[in-house]
Amino acid sequence: MKITLDVIQVLILILGAPLVPAIIARLKALLQRRRGASLWRPYAELFKLLRKEELVPPTSSAVFRLAPVVMFGATLCVTAFVPVVHVSALFGSRGDFFLLVYLLALGRFFLSLGALDGGSAFGGMGASREALVSSLAEAPFLLGLVAIAILASHADLASMVAWTLQQDFFNISAVHILAFTSLAMVILAETGRMPVDNPTTHLELTMIHEGMALEYSGPSLALIEWASAIKLHAMLALLIALFFPWGIASASAQRGIFVAPLIYCGKIGVLMILLSMIESAVAKLRMYLVPDFLGVASALSALAVIFTMWVKR
Amino acid sequence: MQLAPAEIGFVFLLASLGLLAPLVIMARRTKTARAFAIALIVGSNVVGCLVAAVCFWRESHAVVDLSSFTPFPFALGIDRLSALFLLLICAVAVPVSIFAVSYFDKHHSEQRRSWMWAFYSLFLLSMIVVVTASTGFAFLIGWELMTLLSAGLILMEGDSAERRHNVFIYLLMMHVSAAAVAACFFLFLPYSHSLSFGAIRASGTGLPGGVRATICLSAFVGFGAKAGLIPLHLWLPRAHPIAPSPVSALMSGIMLKMAVYGFVRFMFDFLGGGPWWCGYVVLLAAAVTGLLGILYAIAENDLKRLLAYSSVENIGIIFLGLGTSLVFLAHGAPLGAALALVAALFHTFNHAFFKSLLFLGTGAISNSAHSVNLNELGGLQRRMPLTGAAVLIGCCSIAGLPLFNGFVSEWLTFRSLLAGSTLIDTKAQIILPLMVGTLALIGGLAAACFVKAFGTAFLGRPRSTGAEHAEEAPFGMCVGLVLLGAGCLATGIFPGFLLRPLVTLAQVLIPGAGVPEETLSIARILPWTAAILLGTGTLVALFKRRERVARTWACGLPGLSSRMQYTSTVFSKPIRFIFAQVYRPDRKVEELPADEPYFPVSISYRSVRTTSYERALYRPFVEVFVSLAYRLRRLQTGNIQVYLLYIFLALVSLLTFLRFQR
Repeated sequence: MKITLDVIQVLILILGAPLVPAIIARLKALLQRRRGASLWRPYAELFKLLRKEELVPPTSSAVFRLAPVVMFGATLCVTAFVPVVHVSALFGSRGDFFLLVYLLALGRFFLSLGALDGGSAFGGMGASREALVSSLAEAPFLLGLVAIAILASHADLASMVAWTLQQDFFNISAVHILAFTSLAMVILAETGRMPVDNPTTHLELTMIHEGMALEYSGPSLALIEWASAIKLHAMLALLIALFFPWGIASASAQRGIFVAPLIYCGKIGVLMILLSMIESAVAKLRMYLVPDFLGVASALSALAVIFTMWVKR
Repeated sequence: MQLAPAEIGFVFLLASLGLLAPLVIMARRTKTARAFAIALIVGSNVVGCLVAAVCFWRESHAVVDLSSFTPFPFALGIDRLSALFLLLICAVAVPVSIFAVSYFDKHHSEQRRSWMWAFYSLFLLSMIVVVTASTGFAFLIGWELMTLLSAGLILMEGDSAERRHNVFIYLLMMHVSAAAVAACFFLFLPYSHSLSFGAIRASGTGLPGGVRATICLSAFVGFGAKAGLIPLHLWLPRAHPIAPSPVSALMSGIMLKMAVYGFVRFMFDFLGGGPWWCGYVVLLAAAVTGLLGILYAIAENDLKRLLAYSSVENIGIIFLGLGTSLVFLAHGAPLGAALALVAALFHTFNHAFFKSLLFLGTGAISNSAHSVNLNELGGLQRRMPLTGAAVLIGCCSIAGLPLFNGFVSEWLTFRSLLAGSTLIDTKAQIILPLMVGTLALIGGLAAACFVKAFGTAFLGRPRSTGAEHAEEAPFGMCVGLVLLGAGCLATGIFPGFLLRPLVTLAQVLIPGAGVPEETLSIARILPWTAAILLGTGTLVALFKRRERVARTWACGLPGLSSRMQYTSTVFSKPIRFIFAQVYRPDRKVEELPADEPYFPVSISYRSVRTTSYERALYRPFVEVFVSLAYRLRRLQTGNIQVYLLYIFLALVSLLTFLRFQR
């Protein structure tokens, strides 16, 4: 029973993923008084790319072909950690958030290598910038999660969510506010959204993620695009599960499982609306302002950890 | 005297490395004699692995007591801690030796090769003596020999003035370290009345507080300098890069770990934890070491120097674990202490593997592409796929990515830091969890550093003719690389077989500790993660699609040249820019001719990292020493009458001293 639920959660994260960037793009279009593309377009695009032939640069080696696969596989593993509609996860009590963060790093590491293997300046540009952003994002990411883990006295996500579920929403602590803010900022950077990276542009002066994927085509590109969609979805689900889990089904409220997907859709909908508003209202940061952005996130998460001393008694 | 099989193996290991192999090489300088000696070195290390494994996995001791032959008590013995480090030495020495066969053959003349191998064998022996010593005397002999033999190996590679200067700094700092280590032993002497480890251990708990604190500090300085903790790391990036690659691999992979061994032996085995501040001091030094180490590494373009600085960083991570463990011990929490100690020891073991793998990889690169400057490499993956695959495994391990061994130990360190939050009502409750941020930053920067290292060396287009005409490394080198790579991968996916005895070891060193559940859970999850990744890989491979080679997008221009690629310098530029305060670069732009600013014929640009804080730290010491030496020189007049006067004065003062002593 439990394992079926866990597999269903993983499938929701993986199969629902292409919808997330599509809905955000649609909402942005609405905000900018355009009509926007169909919500099913990403699925059609993935299907198309998966059937196309692949173009590889003449300089490339096996690493170029390996990179999308590793990235996709690592992202798949990440989905096995995040509770979506039920307070459990496939890797539930065994894995913890350190493993989750480092699996993301594994995917990024290989994608950067794949980008460098193309032998063009754009790949190097993307990889170099990604190296800067991700190396600075890791500390606030982990510290924010550490703050919650200290309060919950557990390091695996399912138990952390279960702990939050028992708390009173109107009695949240400063730790939660600080940790949420820093994690939200980090997730913007991690998933390559505004104001750190612009997901819609191919302009070489600004691109990070796009720069790395530039040489990829066909099925490899499909894997990369899908993996980044899954990553975005999983990160949003992580935010929801850690900070707004109320409504999720648990062992004591087993029947909630039928309502939980609807509530989840509502919550992620709100997050997507927020994201599209941020992306419409905010300009992309200059490259060298990104460290300041992440520095603020680091400071907030460090404060969150410090405040646990008073909250936890 | 009845010898157990493990003891026979141990004696064989000592005898063949210390006597047989060097004697055979030096007595008959023929190819067959050398081949026999090399086979002896490799074979005895395999035996050493078995001996260490038996002692490590099953609680069995091996003792070789030579006290009746030596003026001072000289005894060697293998307990659990020694067994771990003996295993580390022998397991790394086997692939490194196999690699060294082809490497020394290519790089050194016939005559020098014999000397190389003789020193190499003795160098291995000296480290084995250090970890198995069970008297202070044996330990110090091994410690000193280790320094001198490695310096000899460095000097054999060449003897330019710069190299001599670097070796001088190396020897100088190592003797400061050796003095501090010797002081540790002698501070025990009034209480233990003997330098045997058993007596020292027995006296460890009854020491007065002041002596205990002095021993802690002295051990920290002595072993810290040998390990390369900042600011005592000065010798490391000088000495490691100039040694031949297999020797660099041994120095970085194993020799640094001897300091970890010594520190653990003193702090945990002898003293059973230090005073309360000691853990925090270690933590602070470790955090600074890790951060600065990796920041310096990322700015380097010379692959060997980059690896040397990354060794500094990894030593930081190891000491972060040790410091955490000491903090837990000081607060009376043995379970957390055991977890942190397991993390540190496991990282020690892992670092030995991936760092020697990477240094050997560098050797293979310099052998094929005739350069280790990242800005002159590129495109090697297509030309040397096996080396590339092994080095990629090493890079992933050192970056701490899941499924590779570096991750497991970093993960354990993370979890032990997180467990610090359970130390309610202490400062550690906040300090340890905050250290997670430091370690995460170190980890993130390490990943960036090794994306750069692997990406610019092995991927893309070749940046020089040397790299363009590179060929796969010879068979022997590949065997060494593949063995080490397989080791990294195996311990990365199935860490359980090493973690279980490590936990037992931690329980021996920290009485009263249970089994930390983290060590069990990580061993359960990793194979599943690997299975998912492997499954994805197979699925994608099954749907293998058509592929066509097409030119890289060049914005419509006819084609790309290697000069249009990102170089190693450019790759690290954003990070160097952000952390400019750390590097304090000294930049110089020269345009020629000077009187025509708009039409320069040549522009040269140079940017050197200044080591301002190193200068500020070391300059006062150096100045005091030099001025002292100048003052002492006044005694040295060269006049025989004055010297006779000195002798007379010395005699008179000694006589008066004896007179008043009664």
